Amino acid sequence: MITQTLAALRRINHVLAVATGVVLLVTAGFVILDITLRQFALSFGGSDEISGYVMAGLASWGLSYALTELAHVRIDLIRLQLRQGGRALMDLFAMTVMAGTVTLIAMKSWPVLEKTLTRGSRANTPLETPLWIPQAVWFSGWVWFAVSSCILVLLAAILLFRRDFAGVDRMIGTVSEADLEAGK
Amino acid sequence: EELSVVGSWSSLPLHKQFETPFWTKTLPDASGGEISVQMTTHDQMGIKGGDVYRMLGDGVFDIGMTVADYAVGDAPELEGLDVPLVATTPAEAKAMVEAARPMVEDIFKDRFNAKVLAIAPYPPQVVFCKGDIASLDDLAGKKIRGSGRMTTKFLEALGAEGVNVAFSEVPGALERGVIDCAVTGSGSGYSAGWWEVSDTLMTLPLGGWDPVVTAVNMDRWDSLSDDTKAMITAKVAAEFEAPAWATATGSLEMDVACLTGNGECSMGKPASMKLVAPNDADTAKARKILTETVLPEWAERAGTDWAKRWNESVGKTVGVQIPLS
Amino acid sequence: MIWSVAFSLLGLLSLSIPVGIVLFLLGFGIDQFYSPFPLMRGLGQVVWSASNSSTLIAIPFFVLLGEILVRGGIAERTYASLDKWFSWLPGGLIHANIGTATMFSATSGSSVATAATVATVAMPQAEKLGYDPKLFSGAIAAGGTLGILIPPSINLIVYGFLTETSIPRLFLAGLIPGLLMALVFMLVTAVLCTLRPSLGGVSRSFSWGERFASLIQLLPIMLLFVAVIGSIYAGWATPTESAAVGVAIALVIAAANRGVSLEMMRDSLLGTVRITAMIMLVITGAYFLNFTLASAGLGRDLQDLLTGLNLSPFGTLLVVIGLYIVLGFFIETLSLMVATIPIVVPIMAGLGFDKVWFGILMIVLVEMALITPPVGLNLYVVQGARKSGKFSDVMLGTIPFVAVMLAMVAMLVLVPELALYLPDHF
Ligand code: NA
Ligand code: NA
Repeated sequence: MITQTLAALRRINHVLAVATGVVLLVTAGFVILDITLRQFALSFGGSDEISGYVMAGLASWGLSYALTELAHVRIDLIRLQLRQGGRALMDLFAMTVMAGTVTLIAMKSWPVLEKTLTRGSRANTPLETPLWIPQAVWFSGWVWFAVSSCILVLLAAILLFRRDFAGVDRMIGTVSEADLEAGK
Repeated sequence: EELSVVGSWSSLPLHKQFETPFWTKTLPDASGGEISVQMTTHDQMGIKGGDVYRMLGDGVFDIGMTVADYAVGDAPELEGLDVPLVATTPAEAKAMVEAARPMVEDIFKDRFNAKVLAIAPYPPQVVFCKGDIASLDDLAGKKIRGSGRMTTKFLEALGAEGVNVAFSEVPGALERGVIDCAVTGSGSGYSAGWWEVSDTLMTLPLGGWDPVVTAVNMDRWDSLSDDTKAMITAKVAAEFEAPAWATATGSLEMDVACLTGNGECSMGKPASMKLVAPNDADTAKARKILTETVLPEWAERAGTDWAKRWNESVGKTVGVQIPLS
Repeated sequence: MIWSVAFSLLGLLSLSIPVGIVLFLLGFGIDQFYSPFPLMRGLGQVVWSASNSSTLIAIPFFVLLGEILVRGGIAERTYASLDKWFSWLPGGLIHANIGTATMFSATSGSSVATAATVATVAMPQAEKLGYDPKLFSGAIAAGGTLGILIPPSINLIVYGFLTETSIPRLFLAGLIPGLLMALVFMLVTAVLCTLRPSLGGVSRSFSWGERFASLIQLLPIMLLFVAVIGSIYAGWATPTESAAVGVAIALVIAAANRGVSLEMMRDSLLGTVRITAMIMLVITGAYFLNFTLASAGLGRDLQDLLTGLNLSPFGTLLVVIGLYIVLGFFIETLSLMVATIPIVVPIMAGLGFDKVWFGILMIVLVEMALITPPVGLNLYVVQGARKSGKFSDVMLGTIPFVAVMLAMVAMLVLVPELALYLPDHF
């Protein structure tokens, strides 16, 4: 059950990351089209504005993928001195702090979108982009990051309770450890 | 009382000459030690100009100041404070801002939960062009670096193209022909050496006047005693707002003298740009575009009620009326 | 305030809480204990504004460029060619690491992306050939920092933007110091490995024929350099847009090498999203920390410190350099620049220092910050690319290169023409 949930979470994040990457690639194409058209004085403008929105989306929707890939940077100088059980405990602690912080950020991000919605705010640019669109994408990315973190905390807590330390490590440990124990 | 104050761009004279001395010295001294101030600027905090009033409304800090144009994303009706080309001299600009003040106060109260304390100008925004430009008509078909939504809309209506170029890239972009003209404050243009790569200086306020609004969070304001409120209001008007406007008038003359080589320049080596002063034909043309295209579009963004109010206040002062059906 | 922040930072980091989260936590703490104002209410707005940035999008573009070079086989061939040219030196492949980092620096504006690219190609070799992991990985972390000194450079774009200095002039100014620093990195490596041969691996020799034959493998990277830098100087693309040009050209080159497939594209995009998200969590955390520090009066403290000492211009310069070294240990580089430039640069310019020259000096100091613990992104990136081993290896391995950077700072102070010759003459 736990293994399936984790696998499902990873699969979802994988798909999301590919989608985010494709959007980035399309944005690069868009920028290049803009540069090219500019040579013929045909620029449609606004590519820098759209790049900003894509960046905000990438910086929120990619977070959860980095989480399940164990890519978020952690300093493991002390952690590596501990035995397996201590490590698992430390991982769960770090993960819980992270989940709490991220949930707080997601909650505090709502007022940004809320204000935009109630005021009908538009970007201060010739495009006049309705800001709720990029902000909704950005906000939901943080919410999903918070949800993923909380699910991981829950799953890891169950594993720790069952004293499955290796399982905890694979789920929320650090990359070098995971690879070492996979026998690489 | 401790007040946290967030100033406008830390590198510009308005902040260095007026905001900092007023908030960190004049006001605390005048309060006899009652008021102390913590001051920083939005650029030092790493927040965007457009976020200043949003955060001010939330009470993140007590007093904030930034260019009103930055906040029009949240309040399109605020664009009416800085309509380009309707006021051509600092005195006219001051009259325009004064006429708009009651509107601005209502906008800040409703949109940002804030009370307006002062509206001070940045140095007048002028146009640096490469090649021979004699009138507004000559700008058609040119690529122009401007700022502000209404200016960009005006350029579009004129048949020019608005291009987004960072301040520091303007000389290179002018030289390579990426742009033909660029709008900025006269003093910044002189000190950044834009005169080295351009020939014509138009003192036409194509970019408006970029008024900077100083506002205080409404809850914080209400928590102050009536005496303190009266003292702050009086001091801001007399020792911050008034001298800032007085300097704007003087500095335009000096900047133009330095940029054209006509008159006395005490800032350094005078340049020899050709001066194109606003003429009646340009003013008439600008008003035609404004009343036919730019302002009616704004009336749609802001709503007819605001347009009506603008007609009765600013419009009367500057002699422009938005046709409303 | 600074001291308690520093100690809390160390404490939280040692608990192995993710670095970006630690920066947010510190911000919460400053809000709680040092600021009378409810800064938490600004949290969401800061996170949105920090990431809604058309300047920062250059980071994922440069990371993607690096991924395409690695997965399209171009990075590997560049590395192999430089191996043939430099491996006879004492220290062997370590020189190829530095050389490859220098070449990629000329196409990438991000130090993190440069280090990630080189580490991915080089790290497997270290284990295969029995190198001392310290110096080997330290050279990659340090060589990678050249990414922001040798043009293009995201950090110079940010500096130019904040100080209203011409970015093409800054780019020209970074070139000579960047190449010089790469040379001295190699020199120091050679000296160290001559003194202690166990630090390096086997020196290998190749014939001149092999060397010249391998030069063709450097063509793609040269082509990329010309495209990225050329598009800026020809006035076609802004410095940020040139990153997108780089991605397109890299794709074309990889396709010409038959290195492009659907699978390769998917992996490149996945790698880009992973690395970018990791960096962006740190950067948004750093922005929030900076926001709280500025609100709690860090700017005023800095200004009081610099103006209150009443030092000569040279004395002030020394204090500023010291300040960047210390702050560089703890603060992420982009937010360090954003926080300090508005305060420091006007003071320095007022004292008569050239803004372009000071920008280059600051970049060298920021490069140092990238490889000094506990907050040194390049250290993490290189450690992330290793399959095993201790983090402290990478940390210790960078020490000789930190010394070179300090020497470079001194050189720039003594011989400002190092930076100013090119922008003044071209
Ligand atoms: Na570079
Ligand atoms: Na550091």
